[in-house]
Amino acid sequence: MAVAARARQVVKAYGSGETRVVALDHVDVDIARGQFTAIMGPSGSGKSTLMHCLAGLDTVTSGQIYLDETEITGLKDKKLTQLRRDRIGFIFQAFNLLPTLNALENITLPMDIAGRKPDKAWLGRVVDTVGLSDRLKHRPTQLSGGQQQRVAVARALAARPEIIFGDEPTGNLDSRAGAEVLSFLRRSVDELGQTIVMVTHDPVAASYADRVLYLADGRIVDEMYKPTAEAVLDRMKDFDARGRTS
Amino acid sequence: MTVVKTSLRNFFAHKGRMALSAVAVLLSVAFVCGTLVFTDTMNTTFDKLFAVTSSDVSVSPKDSEDEDDGAGTGRPASLPASVVEQVASVEGVEKAEGAVTSMSVTVVDADNKNMGSSTGAPTLAGNWTENDLRSMEITSGHAPRGPTEVMVDADTADKHDLKLGDELRTIAATGDIRAKIVGIASWKVTNPGAAVVYFDTETSQRALLGATGRFTQVSVTAEDGVSDARLKQDVAQALDGSYKIQTAKESADENRKDVGEFMDIIKYAMLGFAGIAFLVGIFLIINTFSMLVAQRTREIGLMRAIGSSRRQVNRSVLVEALLLGFVGSVLGVGAGVGIAIGLMKLMSMAGMSLSTDDLTVKTTTPVVGLILGVVVTVLAAYLPARRAGKVSPMAALRDAGTPADGRAGRVRGLIGLVLTGGGAAALYAAATADKASDGALMLGGGVVLSLIGFVVIGPLLAGGVVRVISAVLLRAFGPVGRMAERNALRNPRRTGATGAALMIGLALVACLSVVGSSMVASATSELDKSVGADFIVLSQQQPIVPQAEKAMEDSPGLAHVTHYKSVDATLTSPDGKTDDSGVTAADPTYAEDLRRTTTEGTLSAAYGKDAMSVGSDYAKKHGVHVGDTITVAFKGGETAKLKVAAITDDDTAIDQGARYLSIDTLRSYLPADRVPQNVIMFAKAEDGKQDAAYAALKKALDPYPQYQVRDQTDYKEELKDQIGQLLNMVYGLLALAIIVAVLGVVNTLALSVVERTREIGLLRAIGLSRRQLRRMIRMESVVIALFGALLGLGLGMGWGATAQRLLALEGLDVLDIPWATIGGVFVGSAFVGLFAALVPAFRAGRMNVLNAIATE
Repeated sequence: MAVAARARQVVKAYGSGETRVVALDHVDVDIARGQFTAIMGPSGSGKSTLMHCLAGLDTVTSGQIYLDETEITGLKDKKLTQLRRDRIGFIFQAFNLLPTLNALENITLPMDIAGRKPDKAWLGRVVDTVGLSDRLKHRPTQLSGGQQQRVAVARALAARPEIIFGDEPTGNLDSRAGAEVLSFLRRSVDELGQTIVMVTHDPVAASYADRVLYLADGRIVDEMYKPTAEAVLDRMKDFDARGRTS
Repeated sequence: MTVVKTSLRNFFAHKGRMALSAVAVLLSVAFVCGTLVFTDTMNTTFDKLFAVTSSDVSVSPKDSEDEDDGAGTGRPASLPASVVEQVASVEGVEKAEGAVTSMSVTVVDADNKNMGSSTGAPTLAGNWTENDLRSMEITSGHAPRGPTEVMVDADTADKHDLKLGDELRTIAATGDIRAKIVGIASWKVTNPGAAVVYFDTETSQRALLGATGRFTQVSVTAEDGVSDARLKQDVAQALDGSYKIQTAKESADENRKDVGEFMDIIKYAMLGFAGIAFLVGIFLIINTFSMLVAQRTREIGLMRAIGSSRRQVNRSVLVEALLLGFVGSVLGVGAGVGIAIGLMKLMSMAGMSLSTDDLTVKTTTPVVGLILGVVVTVLAAYLPARRAGKVSPMAALRDAGTPADGRAGRVRGLIGLVLTGGGAAALYAAATADKASDGALMLGGGVVLSLIGFVVIGPLLAGGVVRVISAVLLRAFGPVGRMAERNALRNPRRTGATGAALMIGLALVACLSVVGSSMVASATSELDKSVGADFIVLSQQQPIVPQAEKAMEDSPGLAHVTHYKSVDATLTSPDGKTDDSGVTAADPTYAEDLRRTTTEGTLSAAYGKDAMSVGSDYAKKHGVHVGDTITVAFKGGETAKLKVAAITDDDTAIDQGARYLSIDTLRSYLPADRVPQNVIMFAKAEDGKQDAAYAALKKALDPYPQYQVRDQTDYKEELKDQIGQLLNMVYGLLALAIIVAVLGVVNTLALSVVERTREIGLLRAIGLSRRQLRRMIRMESVVIALFGALLGLGLGMGWGATAQRLLALEGLDVLDIPWATIGGVFVGSAFVGLFAALVPAFRAGRMNVLNAIATE
């Protein structure tokens, strides 16, 4: 299976000497193209750090990260910024949109910044898929939380990035709105062939993924294919129990 | 107590955000204190000088023309030497000395270079007396003896590199005195700039007064134990009452009064500019506190939720303002002393000598500075503080950001429109006023009202103006430009206040530049229209002495030379009213030199024997017509009955209201030694010899550097330069207000960047490059600056044009808008915007993306 991104022996450490904290401890991971991958783990397990490193938002202490065949570790800020702009999409937990721009302008922002013309047909399809056709001229403050996250999803999809990273994209939503957003992400993988990596601590959210990676103490400790919410929840209880006894 | 504690914590937690506001307070306070210290120091310097130069009691002629000290005739009023003996015999007099002093002299070196002060301080010549030893001591050589010896003060000698044995030529009304320097005397106190030369008594009497046996003053020294006041009484009794007798204190006070008045003008003018800076600073402080309150909304909501009262919240903000004002003012007072010293150094470079030993910091200076700084800061923070008090406890739960208040916007718009409308009406009234005095009041009112009006509606105008500027300017920058535009529009109140601060300074610049260039244009057009003379000879300090007059008359290639004298006289019109504004005596050729239209009679007839002309305003007021007789009492001469032969049209800028008569007529009523010297002279070249005549005339006046000869082109150029210099000085002073306004732009941007940390993080995450981010912030800054510039320049040009319409009544009848200057200021504002964004943009670019996203 084709690989969209991979990490090799990635170490991320903060501080030095006695206060040294290792957030990622020699992590190897392959993100399959056209798949929906969820990264789970307890707080402090390093799941967000891993995502930030994969996305070129954070630097690693050692090891390599590749996006397709491009090694992004060691790239200068300018190249990294371009890479994020042209090849990566983001959905954050909150504050995803610029309040001064309307929904459509927010969606096309990464392409505007790059000076590229959006593909009209594709844009129309994305907008339809997330169900925002009648909300395009609204400012973020005029949209509900769920709608705002859908705009963020549309923005991530519109530029056809190689990979989309989501950082708890439904963390701030109620279950109905959350389910809506997650099903859009699912559909974009199924129908549009998009690659998505999502950090979450919600078993229900993880159940939308094709594959779940479990992180603990900066290491990948387990993975699960075709997860269901129950299976994920059980596995996590398992970790919690082990964590308590060890 | 807790209120104070929270305020203190907040203050120090946000000291970076307060820094620029503190600098604004600092600058304004420093300017006020600097002005006070500087003028007080100048006054101290003069006080010390006058204290040592005044003798215990002095006797001088009563009719000594105090104001110009004989500038008219070139010979100061004097008293006979017998008075000295009379005074010497009075009981209690230790010593009485006759002194000769004249200010109507110019001293030049062998290269005809003027040794006088370049800063307008007088040149004095006199006899060296023992009284002078109170203020000076001979540091090299000896006192002058005989007609070819002169002593000079050390400051002048230093400045012009004069040594013993060098020759100096002293130009006085009675002729030139050539003498070798035999002595140099140093001041015991600071002499701010006067150049002084000393001769022996006989030489100075002959050269300066035109007669031996006379003095301009008797300096009396009291015996021990005799008070000045007592001595004054005794001396007065011994003399017949036709003399002015003053104690040391009285003469020092009299001298001080003139200097003091001049210093007061400087002081109040500079304080006016400091006031403008304060006004601009207020906007900065309001913005800072508004933004801090907005950023702290949740925190304040929490305080309210856990039980703080509105007043406590309100007070906590005001306490922060108090601290800010205090810190800024204390630093400002210190900086003010620095500014004063800087100004003194600057004056020294301009040729004035001042000593830091005389530095005078009165206790009132820091007190005034502190009170002013603190009060202004607290007042400025009042509105934001009130807004903080209004934050509801619910704000703690809501996301930050309060919805815009639509109603307040409408009320604001209405008030702003009423004020602006009132201002516009007043300006219109000023432009159409019939009398300058009524119009001036209207102009002032209109300026103030329209300014306040613009400040009030600024936030509402911001929307439209920013959109227009952006449409023209930012289109080219695509999404970055669009985001910059939206950011500038985001908080119109903030953009409005920031722009308004810049508007104030630039409006004044625009107004003055319009008035200044209209002045130049009006004068030029008037000169073209009415001046027929080819050359004009002007004097800065000393009226034109006869020897220079002669040199000019003897210069080749001239068709005629015109003498022009201002004469003190009291006129009595047929209706019995008197008027003491004097007359102008000139040669008949003056009618060719200055073409004047007449409403009655012909001007040349006014130069006939016992004839004169009057201005049309005077004629109208007193019902005077050609053929009427006016009684003219010449000061120091006889009273004449002169026939009005012409009435000149007063619709002119040059010589408005002048009454002309011939010099011959003047001479028949005024003794020769009372006829004033020319204040100005004109000449016309023979046909086709203009250039040669100009060169010859310049050469002829070479030995007299105190006079400048100009042809029409050079004269216009000089006029333009003079007005330009004046404007530059005012711009320099306005620079302070503009600097504070620029700090305001920096402040707004810096605080906005902090406020938008998460947004910036998001933008960077989705691929906005550092360069694009910096550009976005720079664009926002440029748009804000141009918004302020557009409003300011528009307002200022309106004021300027109104002032010109009003001053058209005084002959300023050409409106000239200096588009180059206006355009330059507009473009300059864009650069100011770029400059202001440097640091905020740099800091935004350096923000760590992850931290920015993580910011709660």
